[in-house]
Amino acid sequence: MPARDPDLPVVRFTERRLDNGLRVIVAPDRLAPVVAINLWYAVGSRNETPGKTGFAHLFEHFMFQGSRHVTKAEHMTLIQSAGGVNNATTFFDRTNYFETLPSHQLELGLWLEADRMATLLDALSQENLDNQREVVKNEKRQSYDNRPYGSFYEKLMAAVFPTGHPYHTTPIGSMEDLDAASLEDVTAFFRTWYAPDNAVLSIVGDVDEGPALEAAQRYFGPIPASGGFPPFVAPDGPTRIGREIREVVPDAVPLERVHFGFRMPPFGRPEYDAMEVASQILAGGKGSRLHRRLVRDERIAQDVTAFALPLVGGSTIFAGWVTARPESDAATVEAAYLEELQRMVDEPVTADELARAQALIESSELSALGRVEEVADRLSMFATYFDRPELINEQLGRYLAVDAAAIQRAATEIFRADNRAVITYVPAVRQEAAA
Amino acid sequence: MTNVRRPGDPPDDRPAGPLTDALLIDGPDEPDLIDSSGDPVLPEAPPNATVITDATEAPRAAEASPAPDPDPLAVLDVRPAPREPRAYHFPRFERHVLINGLTLLSAHLPGRPLLNAQLVFRGGVSVEAADRGGVTVLAARSLTEGTQQRDAIELIEATERLGADLDAEAGWDSLVAGISVPRSRFAPALELLAEVVLSPSFPEAEVDRLRDERLNDLLQARAEPRRRIERVFPETIYASTAPYARPLGGTERTVPGLDREAVQAAYWRLADPASAVFVVAGDLQGLALVDLVEEHFGGRMAAQAVDRGALIEAHADGPRVVVVDRPGSPQSEIRIGHLGVSRSTPDFHALSVLNTILGGQFGSRLNQLLREDRGYTYGVHTSFDMRRGTGPFVVRMAVQTEVTVPAITETLGELRRIGEGPVEQHELDEARDYLVGVFPLRFEAAPQVATAIAGLAIHELPDDELDRYRPAIAAITADDVLAAARAHVRPQDASVVVVGDASQWVDGLREAGIGEVTVIADPVSGEER
Repeated sequence: MPARDPDLPVVRFTERRLDNGLRVIVAPDRLAPVVAINLWYAVGSRNETPGKTGFAHLFEHFMFQGSRHVTKAEHMTLIQSAGGVNNATTFFDRTNYFETLPSHQLELGLWLEADRMATLLDALSQENLDNQREVVKNEKRQSYDNRPYGSFYEKLMAAVFPTGHPYHTTPIGSMEDLDAASLEDVTAFFRTWYAPDNAVLSIVGDVDEGPALEAAQRYFGPIPASGGFPPFVAPDGPTRIGREIREVVPDAVPLERVHFGFRMPPFGRPEYDAMEVASQILAGGKGSRLHRRLVRDERIAQDVTAFALPLVGGSTIFAGWVTARPESDAATVEAAYLEELQRMVDEPVTADELARAQALIESSELSALGRVEEVADRLSMFATYFDRPELINEQLGRYLAVDAAAIQRAATEIFRADNRAVITYVPAVRQEAAA
Repeated sequence: MTNVRRPGDPPDDRPAGPLTDALLIDGPDEPDLIDSSGDPVLPEAPPNATVITDATEAPRAAEASPAPDPDPLAVLDVRPAPREPRAYHFPRFERHVLINGLTLLSAHLPGRPLLNAQLVFRGGVSVEAADRGGVTVLAARSLTEGTQQRDAIELIEATERLGADLDAEAGWDSLVAGISVPRSRFAPALELLAEVVLSPSFPEAEVDRLRDERLNDLLQARAEPRRRIERVFPETIYASTAPYARPLGGTERTVPGLDREAVQAAYWRLADPASAVFVVAGDLQGLALVDLVEEHFGGRMAAQAVDRGALIEAHADGPRVVVVDRPGSPQSEIRIGHLGVSRSTPDFHALSVLNTILGGQFGSRLNQLLREDRGYTYGVHTSFDMRRGTGPFVVRMAVQTEVTVPAITETLGELRRIGEGPVEQHELDEARDYLVGVFPLRFEAAPQVATAIAGLAIHELPDDELDRYRPAIAAITADDVLAAARAHVRPQDASVVVVGDASQWVDGLREAGIGEVTVIADPVSGEER
């Protein structure tokens, strides 16, 4: 194990749970006069019910449509004219809202987040629903439907996780379900999930702990707790897919591409740490195994990737793809890709490969912990997922503790023929493309 | 964690974004599109932290009574006022000139242990010969593929052992080789960077591979609507002889002819220490920086007379409306724009405010209209891409197929309106306060600071340019914005390019009377017209 870089910062933070259950975490960082506010709600696409896919994300858009004291779109305007930036994202296991502001505007950010947590429904209207539904449908078209290979994410998750599994559908949902969304659905979603006792608030940057905690208490303290959140039960299903799933997709693409998905233990488990390091060794840079063999040496591939998704609901996915050069083909690159995965099973990675991968991971940590918004996001994440924000200072150590045997053990369990989905994109023939 | 970078041109012809693009869904402010400066240019923005909220815009909050209220949520009735802002200035940087003429610019950023160093050669893609299009980008990428001392794999492994990211990239006005590395390993990393820029070997096999990857990437770019349109749009505003008409990485016509010899020549033409700057940013405490840089770069790099060549700025003849037909497209990608300005424009600050109001942020006129009122799009953005020569002004959006024509005509309407009268006071205030306020946010990490300093050198701007930024923005008036709009936003000159299913709207586009419509059949779909 390489020596830890002496400059790696330790994030020091204070946390307090308000009476209404809101968990507040404050980490002062004086490097710049800015503050990052980050709010995680423990709800994501995994909590959607059949026929209502895409609702967690559609709802996220509503959070920018106004509340009792904020008019439509004013949230963004207030943040931006305060000299801040903000956004939100929806994922399988959570939804996060965040803004970075000049530090003297901390209270504006807290007030805006509190107002929509407490009074969002005051501003709900059919007009806003219709508008945001169109915006979200355009987001889906732009990000997925109108891109070559754009359907891979949907297809891969649907293959690796069976119908009914919370990860079977992706957060963007389906056009049909978005079309069916009603005001009652939006209201019910808010009442069910958006409450202080289902959230974590992190404040990181140029602030003092005491005043920041007081400000959080002032604006969020009066919001009543909700309770009664439908419990998420991680599915009991087998840890492996149980067979090989294959699909061939004709699409408007010039180069053949093969996507892979394997089911694996979730983020937080030692196997996940091992696979995180393994993905760095496999495809993490120009010196990685897949890149070196397929792109540089054999020159059969245009690009190659491998990564694990940080999902926590019982299991997650290890995924990757390889794009064939025009003079090669999908079968050739698939065989080479799978051989490299099998090599992780058959023999331990070398000490030098491990050291290089861990040095790169360490630098990437150093970069991440130097940005207040990333620190705030991670504090919220570790508190939401594992009830342990202090993991922010432990995660790197876990990656550095991964050894060759751990990688080989995890690879042996995961990289199996009866545990993979293979989705192959091929150029559509002329008449199909023109249809 | 780094992923293998996909070849292709970063800004104006760029490949799909990072993995997370596809895997996380963004919220309302779409970070995914467009910041289309070719070079490390100056941040187009911000400010002097006074003021910030406009009291006249907050009647509901301001009028609310702070009197005792049984409602426990009454605290939300009053919008909080900003506290006293903390002082901020752009990080100070120091200047040293080494014996061989190389200028070292260093910014000490306490608490930023991941250092960033960039060797910046001035002159870039914009001075390459038309029949060698793409050679500068290929030269930059080939730099890190081997040296006289190490082959590609040895170099890559040595870099990774340091946990370093070694990278070289070319833009319109520069070629930059840089390294990011923890400060504890800075000295050996600097040695690798020196090796790469002083004694690159440009191995033939690697140059050929990168050239072939670029050709494959061009195939991919044709298939992706938002990259396809970035290829077509510049061709409608620049003459085919102008470098700005081409993508940075070259075309199917120019790239096949590139080889090791061409790449070598292109690199050594630019690699003159006397016109270069070496920028280092991060926590430099305890590092003998000047000595280190002198040791690795000072003596071993001889000054040469560099001919940067002439900047060719030929323009296309007139407005054009071009349609790339892709039957079955679920959306239309749209670009509307014309020639803009160069970075040396005296209207830089007025244009920054103007662009913010028109289409530079979420609350802009165009985004409010087309997204929040109409629901046509996930987001619309405008930008003035400022280069050493005249860069483009462009509006970018993707809309659902059935609203293609109204999205275009309503956009042109907003481009007219911005020149018809002064912007509202609240628009001016919001834009200025935004630009002034986000300024510190842009320089949190060492690479951002180094890139901004490099931009000063590339565009030959004074050292205090970034210090002047916030007061200059704060001083912009509605009249300044109007004058800038009248000079630099010219809807009557605009090209309009659409990639989408033409059968659904091309008749309407012709009837809209914007100009004669040229339809190109899309080879990806295989349909000929």
